Parts: sequence; structure tokens; C-alpha cells
Amino acid sequence: MSLQLIRPDINLDFVGKRHFFVILSTAINLAAILLLIFKGLNYGVDFIGGSVVQVQFTNATNADAIRRSLAPLDLGEITVQDFGSAGHSYLLRFEKVKNIGGLGPTLEAELAKSFGAGGARVVRVESVGAKVGSDLRRKGFLAVVAATIFMGIFIAIQFRHVSWSFGTGAVIALVHDVLVVTGALVIAQLQFDLTTLAALLTVIGYSVHDTIIVSDRIREDAAKRRREPIASIMNRAINETLSRTILTSGTAIMVLIALLAFGGPILRPSAFTLLVGFITGTYSSVYIAGPVVLFWEGRGKGGGSPSARAA
Amino acid sequence: MAVSIKTGRGDYLLKTGAPDQRDAKAILLTLVLERCDGIERVAFRCRVAAGLVDPTTDSEAIMSRLAPWLEREFEMTRESALKTIRSEHRMLEISFDACNRGPF
Repeated sequence: MSLQLIRPDINLDFVGKRHFFVILSTAINLAAILLLIFKGLNYGVDFIGGSVVQVQFTNATNADAIRRSLAPLDLGEITVQDFGSAGHSYLLRFEKVKNIGGLGPTLEAELAKSFGAGGARVVRVESVGAKVGSDLRRKGFLAVVAATIFMGIFIAIQFRHVSWSFGTGAVIALVHDVLVVTGALVIAQLQFDLTTLAALLTVIGYSVHDTIIVSDRIREDAAKRRREPIASIMNRAINETLSRTILTSGTAIMVLIALLAFGGPILRPSAFTLLVGFITGTYSSVYIAGPVVLFWEGRGKGGGSPSARAA
Repeated sequence: MAVSIKTGRGDYLLKTGAPDQRDAKAILLTLVLERCDGIERVAFRCRVAAGLVDPTTDSEAIMSRLAPWLEREFEMTRESALKTIRSEHRMLEISFDACNRGPF
């Protein structure tokens, strides 16, 4: 006996509810933009420059004691974070260090005054200059923009026989996904570093993949049903691919939930990015990419037939 | 005491990070790889089985023998050491024994 999650003849009215979801998505996107402007992402050292130092202590200590110990060095703002070893391991973040090079030995010498010789050991120092950080931030932004635009162009060319607007729909869906994910990262205040950027680019790849599956079925159905309105073709295509969409997204999401729960603090920002991105990517393939095509074609009320048909 | 090593990522210094620990079975060194300009530092441990070196060999001599090996294996060692500290909150331990003699 086979397990059937979605009936083959399912016929949900996705296209009919598009106005509600477009308004909902627009509101979420506006909120994300406002969050990005007024609160901003919690950029990691890769993007803002500075140093991350991991210190291991022989005896358990606390953040205040570490701050007090380092106060004479006048190193500016220090973020001290317990690194999950019951007070034995701490992560120190310095944003503006004057002598970035000599940080390891300087810290070790200063900490030795409070915690004793060998009481605090600097086991990791990773530094990025402010200029390199700002360059990486600019290049990261360009990578996201370039990936989105080129995928839009590719899809527009691939689906030109049905409508050139598929490319626009895909680009708007991708922008929607990126905004939702970055907005969620702002709310969660998880660190945005190079790994998170890689996860964001992965989300773009996944989302467009899902959009292509639905669009491809629309192209097939448009060739078979030349007299049917495109809204109806679109709704049928979404229903026909629904089982596949839910199964592929569902399995990926289960893996990501496990990664988020058990992957530890280092993997948490990227697992969170992927999880939110995969959910929103699946949603946008159904509720964003399609309505954009309908709007573009001027058949928002479901009348008429596509201007061009698949060969 | 520091030994200089040349890598694809620039010049690094191999230094002792803590006093070595010795017993009848092995010598355990806590070492630090630090870029000459100081912008990166990563610590790791190196356990050398007693049969591979004279038990009285000082850590400086062991580091001198380790340096050429570390130059060859630099990328893998650095990456593993960083990942172990970041993810497992402990120092990477490289063991050299009769099965894996490394530079000894």
C-alpha cells in the first residue's frame, strides 16, 4: 500500500487567493526593508572588520571579569560571549583595534595579570581589516544581485514561448525570498557572515529551482490547452506539481530543522537562513511568481488566453 | 622559541602555547601557529609517541622537525585546527605513533 499525501486530482484555488497573498507578502517585504534600514543585520567580523579571539580559561570565569581584565588595554568596544564550555571558553569580538596584528600576545599577557600565567590561553585569532570587510560586504551584495538578475534572464529566455514575464516573476519571487530571509535574520539577530551569505545564495538557487518546476508544468499545459485561460492553466500546474513541491521541500526542511536543533552555534545562522529561505522559496513559487505573470499578461481576472504558446 | 614556516597564506611562526607534558608513553606539545603579522592565530596539540623521539628531546628540537612537515600539511592542519576549536571548543590533537610517523 502506498502512502499518498496529496490526491492526484486535488484542485485547490491558489490563483484565486493570489490578491490576499500578494498583499501579505508586500507587507512582509516592507517590514523587512524597514528592519534592514532601522535595525540592520548583525554583521560578522567578515563584513565589518575587526578580530574574533577565542580564549580558553583554566578556571571558569565570567564576561565581566574578562572585560575588567582587558579594560587597561583600551581596545574599544568588546563583545564577550560564553562559548558553551561552562565558563571555560569565551569568544571576544573587537570591532576597532588599533594594533590588530599584536592582539594574541597582548591579550594573553594582559589576561595573565588577572588569571595567572597560563590561566588564559588564546587559542584562535581571526582578523579582517575594515577595508576588506567593507569590500566583502559590497561583493556579497553584488553576488546576490547578480545571481538574481542572471537567473531572471535565464528563465525569461527559457519560457519566452509562453510569456517573457516568467523571468520577471522569478526575479520578483527571488527578491521577495531574499527580503524575507534577511528580515528574519534581523529579527533573530543571528550573525551574518560569509557562511550565511553562502546559505542566502543557496536559497536563491533552491527557490528558482522550485519556480522552474511550476513554470515548466505551465509551459507543458499551455501547449496542450491552447484555449484555456492562463490563470486556469497556472492553477492546474500548481496543483499538479503540489505533491512534488511538498515532498521535496518537506524532506529538505526536516533536515534543516535537525541541523538547526543539533548543529550547534556555528551552523545555526546558516541553518536558520536555509530553513526560512526554503519555506519562503516554496511559498513564493506558488503565490508570487505566478501572480506576477498574470499581472504582466493583463489577465488578472482569469480571462483570455496567453499571448503566445509553447511550440 | 619560534620556528618560521612558509605557507601559501604567508609566513607563519610555530610557537609553544603552553608547557609540554611528558609521560612514559608520549610527549604532548601545545603549539600555536601564528601569522607573522599577527592577524591569525590557531592553537593545536601534538602528541608524539615515546618510541619516535628520545624522551629527553626538548620541544624546540621537536618543533624543528615538525616545521617542514607542517609546511607541507599546512592547509589541512590549519583548517582542522580552526574547525575543531570553533565547533568542538577544544584543540585539535595530532598524534604521531608507529602507524603514523609523520616527520619522525
